[in-house]
Amino acid sequence: MANDIRIRQGVHNLNAASVAAFRTAYQRMMAINDNRGYAWFAGLHGTPNFWCWHHQRSSHFRNRVMELFLPWHRAYLYNFEMAMRDQVPGVTLPWWDWTLRPPRQDGIPGIFSAPQADGKANPLFSFRMNVPTANPPLRRSTQRDPGPTDELPTQADVDDVMGNNADFSSFTDALEGLLHDRVHGWVSGDMGIVAVAAYDPIFWSHHCMVDRLWAIWQVRNGNGNLPSDMLDVVLAPFTFKVRDVLNINTLGYDYGAAETIIPIGAR
Amino acid sequence: MARKARTSASPKPAGRKSATRKTAAAEAPAGLPPAKRGGTGRIYTSPPVKVDFATPGHRANRIDLELDGLYHGEASFEGRVFLNNTRANAGTPRTMDKGYAGSFYVFGHGGCLGDPGHCEVRDHDREFHDYRSGHMLTPRKTRINVTTTLQAIARETTEVTVTIVPVITAANELCDQRNVLRFEGMRFISYNP
Repeated sequence: MANDIRIRQGVHNLNAASVAAFRTAYQRMMAINDNRGYAWFAGLHGTPNFWCWHHQRSSHFRNRVMELFLPWHRAYLYNFEMAMRDQVPGVTLPWWDWTLRPPRQDGIPGIFSAPQADGKANPLFSFRMNVPTANPPLRRSTQRDPGPTDELPTQADVDDVMGNNADFSSFTDALEGLLHDRVHGWVSGDMGIVAVAAYDPIFWSHHCMVDRLWAIWQVRNGNGNLPSDMLDVVLAPFTFKVRDVLNINTLGYDYGAAETIIPIGAR
Repeated sequence: MARKARTSASPKPAGRKSATRKTAAAEAPAGLPPAKRGGTGRIYTSPPVKVDFATPGHRANRIDLELDGLYHGEASFEGRVFLNNTRANAGTPRTMDKGYAGSFYVFGHGGCLGDPGHCEVRDHDREFHDYRSGHMLTPRKTRINVTTTLQAIARETTEVTVTIVPVITAANELCDQRNVLRFEGMRFISYNP
């Protein structure tokens, strides 16, 4: 079991036990103020630390523009998920399939949209930010202002990005600009602002979907013509280089729609 | 030791009262209110350009509109691209008969939450041996596939204007919403089979 590949499932397919484990992991991380906690991870993306990579910018060599959006966020999610598993062994990060429509799902999945769960505040609904060093300082709970469900990307939009961009550069531009950015704006509120988006609990499942689409694209296209000089770029502040995050199985996970454990033993 | 001495010296009720006040202050929302959707930034319309490359004889199988030097430091928005519809606005239907060719999306930084200078991109004057990563607000580029609409228009005329309507999806009070759409260049790129 120890060497098993963990399966990231769709939010819409989680059973009650998986939802409970997911909630507990967030709840425990949100109660920790040190570098194992939710706020610490959220603060790596935007305020106060601003490590995130989006779009094109120069890397350590100023005349070489690189597109590290996908590898950087894969390393980010990996570290976040491992911190979740420190709190609740066996839990995995689920992906939010924004292409689903009613009755299967209506915009924000129910496990994230309900203010309460089991008679308590739902840790997947909101997180109380406290960033005294931001200017102006932040001390309030995250909020959302979602648009109409039919403005979310459709499966046809996903197919267009996946099918019409066979090289890495055009794929990452399309995935980021046409799907990822669109969903951040659709959720709106704090999710619509780079500086605070990662404090919203739905951020991680949104990015899990983005990472899943990259993984599927990799199965179909390999790594495209990913520039070789990108491979040894370090994805700061993490210790991974780009080459370390290209194979999700090496990182110990895979994407499924759902996972059902079958008990072995006498009936 | 000092902490213990202070605690024991303080009468209990006063200590409780001040703790309550402190907790209430810590609980009160403060600082920047959350971003909201709504509104439109300044609409851009280009001068007319020749698009002979989109006529049937040129056999283009894909035509992209590329925006270069696109700023992403303000609000998040959807940039709706209309061809030959200079009157397009946020209420214009996104249909081909209205010249709608596609949208691009910007996930905005949300104004500056740092101290003065934090969001100033100064890549132009970096030292030769400055090996740090570029600024996170380095302007980006983006592409929109406009093939279908442009080829339909090119059957009737060989001149096209590009109108971009920035519809704001998330803006906080730090954002300059009117000037949310800022870019340095724009071009069509066509491809053949």
